[in-house]
Amino acid sequence: MMFDWLTPTLIAVLLVLAGIGAVRRMNLWRAGQADKVDLIAGLMAMPKRYLHDLHHVVERDKYISRTHVATGGGFVLAMLLVVFVHLFGVDSKVLAWLLLAALVMMFYGAVFVFKRRLNPPSRLSKGPWMRLPKSLLTFSITFFVLTLPAAGVLPEGFGGGLLTVVLSFCILASLVEMLFGMTWGGPMKHAFAGALHLAFHRRPERFGGGRSTGLKAAVLGETSHGVAKPTDFKWNQLLGFDACVQCGRCEAVCPAFAAGQPLNPKKLIQDMVVGFAGGTDEKYAGSPYPNVEVGNAKGGPDQIITDGLIHPDTLWSCTTCRACVEECPMMIEHVDAIVDMRRFLTLEKGDTPNKGAQVLENIIATDNPNGFSPSSRTHWAADQNLNLMKDVQQADVLFWVSDGAFDMRSQRILRAFVKLLKAANVDVAILGDEELDSGDVARRLGDDATFQNLAKRNLAILSQYRFKTIVTTDPHAFHCLRNEYADFDSDLNALASVEVLHHTTFLNRLVQEGRLQLDTFKGGKVTYHDPCYLGRYNGEYDAPRELLASLGIDVAEMERSGYRSRCCGGGGGAPITDIPGERRIADMRMEDVVSTGAELVAVGCQQCTAMLEGVVEPRPVVKDIAEILAGQLIEEAH
Amino acid sequence: MQPSVNVVSLVSVGRHPQSDRSRRADQDARAVELGLKLAGKNLTLVHAGDPENPVLRQYAGMGLDAFTVLRQKSYSDVLPIIGNFLTENNAHVVLMGIRAESGESSGMLPYLLAEKLGWPLLSRVADILHVENGKADVLLALPRGQRRAVTVSLPFIATVDNAAKDARQSAYGPGIRASITVLDAEQTADNMAASWAISPAKPRAKRMKVVKAKNAADRFKAATAKPVGGGGNVLKQGTPAEKAQAIFDLLLEEKVIR
Amino acid sequence: MSNLIRRDPRAERIARNRLHPLHASMMLAEQGEVRGPSGLIRKNPHLVGFIGPNGLKRIDRANAFAGTVNRQKRVSTAQEVVLPLHQVVNPDGYIVVVPDMVGGRLTSQDKDILGLAHSLIAQKGTGKSANMAVVAVCFGESKESQFDLAGVDRLIHLSSDVFDGFTPEARLSALMQVEAQYQPEHWLFPDSVNGGTDLASRLAARLGERPATQAWQVSTTQTVCRGASASTDITRETPRILMLLEECGTAIDETRHEVLSLSVESYDQVPARLLDKGLMSVDPNAVPLAEAEFILSAGNGIHNWDQFHECASVLGATEGASRVAVDDGFMPRTRQVGASGTWVTARVYLAVGISGAIQHMQGIGQCGKVVAINTDAGCDMVKRADLAVIADSEAVLAELTKLVQEHHASKVQEEKHNAA
Ligand SMILES: Cc1cc2nc3c(=O)[nH]c(=O)nc-3n(C[C@H](O)[C@H](O)[C@H](O)COP(=O)(O)OP(=O)(O)OC[C@H]3O[C@@H](n4cnc5c(N)ncnc54)[C@H](O)[C@@H]3O)c2cc1C
Ligand code: SF4
Ligand code: SF4
Repeated sequence: MMFDWLTPTLIAVLLVLAGIGAVRRMNLWRAGQADKVDLIAGLMAMPKRYLHDLHHVVERDKYISRTHVATGGGFVLAMLLVVFVHLFGVDSKVLAWLLLAALVMMFYGAVFVFKRRLNPPSRLSKGPWMRLPKSLLTFSITFFVLTLPAAGVLPEGFGGGLLTVVLSFCILASLVEMLFGMTWGGPMKHAFAGALHLAFHRRPERFGGGRSTGLKAAVLGETSHGVAKPTDFKWNQLLGFDACVQCGRCEAVCPAFAAGQPLNPKKLIQDMVVGFAGGTDEKYAGSPYPNVEVGNAKGGPDQIITDGLIHPDTLWSCTTCRACVEECPMMIEHVDAIVDMRRFLTLEKGDTPNKGAQVLENIIATDNPNGFSPSSRTHWAADQNLNLMKDVQQADVLFWVSDGAFDMRSQRILRAFVKLLKAANVDVAILGDEELDSGDVARRLGDDATFQNLAKRNLAILSQYRFKTIVTTDPHAFHCLRNEYADFDSDLNALASVEVLHHTTFLNRLVQEGRLQLDTFKGGKVTYHDPCYLGRYNGEYDAPRELLASLGIDVAEMERSGYRSRCCGGGGGAPITDIPGERRIADMRMEDVVSTGAELVAVGCQQCTAMLEGVVEPRPVVKDIAEILAGQLIEEAH
Repeated sequence: MQPSVNVVSLVSVGRHPQSDRSRRADQDARAVELGLKLAGKNLTLVHAGDPENPVLRQYAGMGLDAFTVLRQKSYSDVLPIIGNFLTENNAHVVLMGIRAESGESSGMLPYLLAEKLGWPLLSRVADILHVENGKADVLLALPRGQRRAVTVSLPFIATVDNAAKDARQSAYGPGIRASITVLDAEQTADNMAASWAISPAKPRAKRMKVVKAKNAADRFKAATAKPVGGGGNVLKQGTPAEKAQAIFDLLLEEKVIR
Repeated sequence: MSNLIRRDPRAERIARNRLHPLHASMMLAEQGEVRGPSGLIRKNPHLVGFIGPNGLKRIDRANAFAGTVNRQKRVSTAQEVVLPLHQVVNPDGYIVVVPDMVGGRLTSQDKDILGLAHSLIAQKGTGKSANMAVVAVCFGESKESQFDLAGVDRLIHLSSDVFDGFTPEARLSALMQVEAQYQPEHWLFPDSVNGGTDLASRLAARLGERPATQAWQVSTTQTVCRGASASTDITRETPRILMLLEECGTAIDETRHEVLSLSVESYDQVPARLLDKGLMSVDPNAVPLAEAEFILSAGNGIHNWDQFHECASVLGATEGASRVAVDDGFMPRTRQVGASGTWVTARVYLAVGISGAIQHMQGIGQCGKVVAINTDAGCDMVKRADLAVIADSEAVLAELTKLVQEHHASKVQEEKHNAA
C-alpha cells in the first residue's frame, strides 16, 4: 500500500518533536534554583507514588478515579504498544490484541471523560481541556481501526485511500495532542510533568502516608530573600506547577476563593506556569481570581512576579489552610509557593499590607503581635498557682501558653485547661514571661528572619529545662514547635526527645487513663470544627472527637469536616492582612455550623474561637473543647 | 523634586513603650518617611552614636542603600558634630523627630541646631508639600487634626509630628545590606546631665475634682454625688429626649460641642 | 489669708459715689455681701424687694415670687463672692508665665502654671526676695476677662498684629526684650502642643539656658521632669526656664490679682523667615480617624444611615464604624475602628448600635469618654461606656440632632446679641 510509510513516519516525527519539547520544557524547569533530590530513588519510586499516593487523593472522586485509571492506564499501555506495532512494525498478533484491549480500555475511559465534559462543573478549566476527551476518543478509535489488520481481524489494506487519508488525519490530530502537546504545553503536559513531579517532589516524606507540612527555612543574608521571579523557585517547584491538571479541586475548597477574595489556587499555579514559561494568561480557561479579569497578567522567568503577573493581594488572601494542598491530586504545594513569594514582599519590599507591618514590628519589639508589655505575659495566671520552669527546672509537662495569654477570651481556654490539668494531678509548669511568640504569624507573613530569631530564642530557653512533653492549646504554636523548630534545633537539641502535643491529644490520654472524671454533657446538639493547623497540618482528627464522645456527645458533623474542614479564616495572618472580599470566611464557616442544627460548636483553637465568635449574633455558642470538658468535670470533694 | 535639594533625616535610637527595647523611633521614622518623599534614595540618613546599633538597620530598611553614623559615646553632646556635618554637607532640609524616645527627651536638639546654624525651624510638621526656588511649603500639625500652611526659606530644620504620614515598613533585606559610613568625631561630654537623678516614672494621680464646699450640705453632696458620666452611668428609663439630653450634657461638658 | 477681710478702697469709693458709672453694676454685683467700714455685713434696704406690675415697689415676704426670672438672676449673682485682692507693690523680681491662650483665653494648664508661679513665690517665705510679681505675657487678641482671678499680678499684653497667627520669631524677639527689661527669675511655659513648647524651646536656645521639659513637680530648688517618653522621672535643680505639664500646680482660686499692665519697650522687628499662610479648613470627616477628637461611630444597630450622617455633621464629629457596618457596605473601610481597622484616641467616642466585640474594643482602648447608645443593656459596649443609654438608636439620634441644632441656633443668637 502506498501510504504504508505514513503512520510510522507520523509517529516517529511526533515522537521526535515531543522529545525536543521535553528537553525544552526541562530547561525551563532547570532555570529554577538547585534543590537536593535523589533523582534515581525518585524515579524508582515514581510508579508506586503514582499508583498509591496520587490515586489515594484521586480516589476521593470515585468517578474520575476510575475514569483516569482506564484512560491513563489505557493510553500509556496503548502508546507503548503503538510504538512497537506501528513504528517498529513488530508483527505479533499477541501485541496487536493487547493493543486493541488497551485501546478499548482507553476508549471506555475517554467516554466518561467526554461525559464529564458535557456539563463540566465550574472548577474545571475549559479551553483546550474541552478538546481533550475528543482527542482521546480519536486516538483510541483511530489506532483501534489501524490495529485491526495487524490483529488479523481485517485484511491488510482494508478501506482504501479515503479511509487512509481520514485515518492519517486522525493520527495526526490525536498524536499532536497526545505527544506533541505533552511536552509543548497542551493538556497532556500533566502526564509528563506530573510523572516527573512525583519522582522529584520537594517533600518526598508525603508519600507512603507521611506528612510534611512545615515550611522550609528561608536562607537569610543573601542578596535577596524569598521568591521575586519565577526562577527564584526551586527547579522542582517549577516542575510541580507544570504538573497541574487544572482539575480545580483546590479552587473548590479554597475558603478565600469562596469568600470572593482575589485568590484562586488553580489560577495561581497556572500563573506560575505563565511566569516561568513567559507570556500572558490569555489562554487560561478556568475561573479567574474573583473580580479580576483574565488576560492582563504578563510574566517571564526573570520578571518580578508581583509586577504584572500576580497582584500581591492574591498572595495575601491565603489563610495557609492547606485545603488546596490536601485536595490536589498532583500533590502540588501551593502554600510553599505563596509563602515564598510573601517572603520577598515582606523581607525585601517591606510591603506587608494593612496591620501586617505593625504586627511584625510589635513582634520584633515585644515578642507578641499586639505590642503588650512582655512582662505582662503571665498576668492571666496570677491566680492559677502554676509552677514556673525558672523555679522548678523540671516537670513532666511543659504547658506552652502561647499569645492567648494576652487575650481575655483565650485566657478562658487557658484557665479551663489548667483546671483539667490540676484535676488530673499533672506535674506541669509554664515558662511564664520567658515564653515568646512562637513565630507562627511572622513566618506566615513572610518574615522568616523574625520567625527564625524567635525560634532560636525559644529553643534556647527550652533547652535550659527538663520535661518530657510540651502541651499547647494553640495549634499554630503546636505546628511550629512540632514541625518547624527542628530546622533550628540541631545544636541545642532542646526538643529532640520531647513529645509535642496538642491539648486535645493530651486530654484524651488523660481521659483514657481515667484521670479525669467527667459528667455526660446534656446541652443541645454539638458540632466540631477541625482547626487547619491541628487537622490538615498535624493529622489530629480523632482525639477531639473521642473527647467529645467521652462526654456522651454524638458530634453532628458538618459536611466539610476532617481533612476537608473549611478554614475559619484565621490562619496565615489573613485577619491581619485582611484583604477585602465579598464575604467573611468565618461567616461561611458559621453557616456550615448552623446547617447542622448545632447549638454549640466545639473547637480546639483560640484563633478559631476568636474568628467564629466574631460572627454577628445570633449564632451557636463557640467553645474550646477544654472549656466544654472543664464544665463537665466532676470535682472530688475534699 | 530638584536633585539640588539636600534632604537630611536625623535619627535616634527609640524605645518601645511597653518592652523598653530599642526600636526605630516613631517620629524619627516619620522624618525618614518624609525625607524619602522629598528626596527618594538621595536622602541622607544620619545618626550620631554607636554605628553598631542594629536599630539603625531598621531605618535603612525603609529603602536606603547607605547611611552615615557620626560615632559618639552615649551621654555625650551631639550638637557640635551634627551641626558641623550639616554645614559641611550643605543640607537644605533637615528632618527630625520632636522628642527622642529615650534619655532626657527634651526636644531641644532641633532648636539648638537651628540656633547654632542660624536657620529657621518649624516644629510639628505634618507634611512638606514642595520645595521650590529656595522655599518650602509646609503643613504644620495642630491639635484636633487641624493644619496650618507655612512657607519657609531654605535651609531649614523641621521636626516631624505624629500626624505626618506613617513610616513605611522596614524591610529586613535592604536593611542588613545597607552600607554605613562612620565618621569619627570629637566627643563633648554632657556634664550637667551627670548630676541628675533618674528613676522610673512615678504614676501621677489624676486630679480629683476639688470641691471647696462652703457648708455641710455642699460637702455632703460633693462626697456622695456620682461624678457626671463617671463609672458607667446606664440610663434605661426615660424618653429618648431625656436620654439625648444626658448625652448632650456630657458632650458639652467634654467641650466637643461648642 | 483668704479669711481676712480686706477693704477695697476703690470699691468703697464707687459705692459712695452714686454718679460713678460703675456704681449700679457694682452695687448689684456685691449684693450678697456689703460690708461697712468696720467689716460688718450691711443690708442695703434699697435693694430689697422688686417693682410690682403696677410700678410700685414690693417686698415679697411670702416668697411667692421665688421662682421668677428676676429673682433667680439675683440669687445667682448674689453668690459671686468677691475675693480678697492680692497686691504686689514695687516687686523685687518677676516670674514670667507665657500662657498658650488657646482661643484668646487661658487654658486650664495656663491657670495651673500661674498657680504654680505663686506657689514658688510663696515658698520663698516672706522676706524681700519673696516680693515678686507673676507676669503673664500674652500675644494677640485676648478674650480673657479673668486674669485677675487666675493670679496675674502684671500683664504684658502684646497685641500688635505682628503677633497674629503663627509668628514664633516675632514672639521670641518680644520675649527677648522682656528678658532684657525684667530679667525674670523664672520663665514658665506650658509644655503643650499649642505653641508653649515651641516658644519655650526657642527662648531657651536663644538664651543658652538648659530648660526643664515635661516638668510636673517643681519647687524653688528641685524639679521633677518626665524623660524617655514619659517613662522616667529626672530629678534636677530647678532651672530658669521651665516647660510644665498639665496639672503641675494648683490654679489660684482664693485671691484676686491686680493685672497691672507692664510695658515693653520696642523690640527688634525680625524679618520673618517663616511665612504664615493661615489655617487650612479641615472638614471633621477628613480628619484622620486616629487623630479625631470626637468620633460618632456606627454599628449594626444603625438602620437610618442618612440620619446618622446628618447627626455626625451637626455634631461636628468624625465618623467611625464597626466592621459589620463596613462589611455591609454602609461605611468605607477607612472608617473602621478596631483591631483590623484604626486604633483611635478620641476624647469622646459615641458608639451607636455597636455591641462591643473584643476586636472593636481593642481599637478604642485609648479613648477618653465612651458613650453608648444601644438597645441591649447587657452588651459589652454598655459595660465599657462611661454613659450608656438604652434606647433605639434612631430615636436618640433624632433627639440629639435636634438638641445640638437648637444649641447652635442659640449660640448664633447670643453672638449676634453680643455683637450688637
Ligand atoms: C480577626 C477579626 C478582626 C476583627 N476586627 C474588627 C475591627 O477591627 N473592628 C470591628 O468593629 N470589628 C471587628 N471584628 C468583628 C467583631 O468581632 C464584631 O463582629 C463586630 O465588631 C460587630 O459589629 P457591631 O457591633 O456593629 O454588630 P453587632 O455585634 O451585630 O452589634 C449590633 C449592636 O447594635 C445593637 N442594636 C441593634 N439594633 C439597635 C437599634 N435599633 N438601636 C440601638 N442599638 C441597636 C445591638 O444590641 C448590638 O449590641 C473582627 C473580627 C475578627 C474575627
Ligand atoms: S493545583 Fe492541583 S488541585 Fe489545583 S487545579 Fe491544579 S491539579 Fe487541580
Ligand atoms: S491554603 Fe487555603 S486559602 Fe490558601 S490557597 Fe490553599 S485553599 Fe486557598
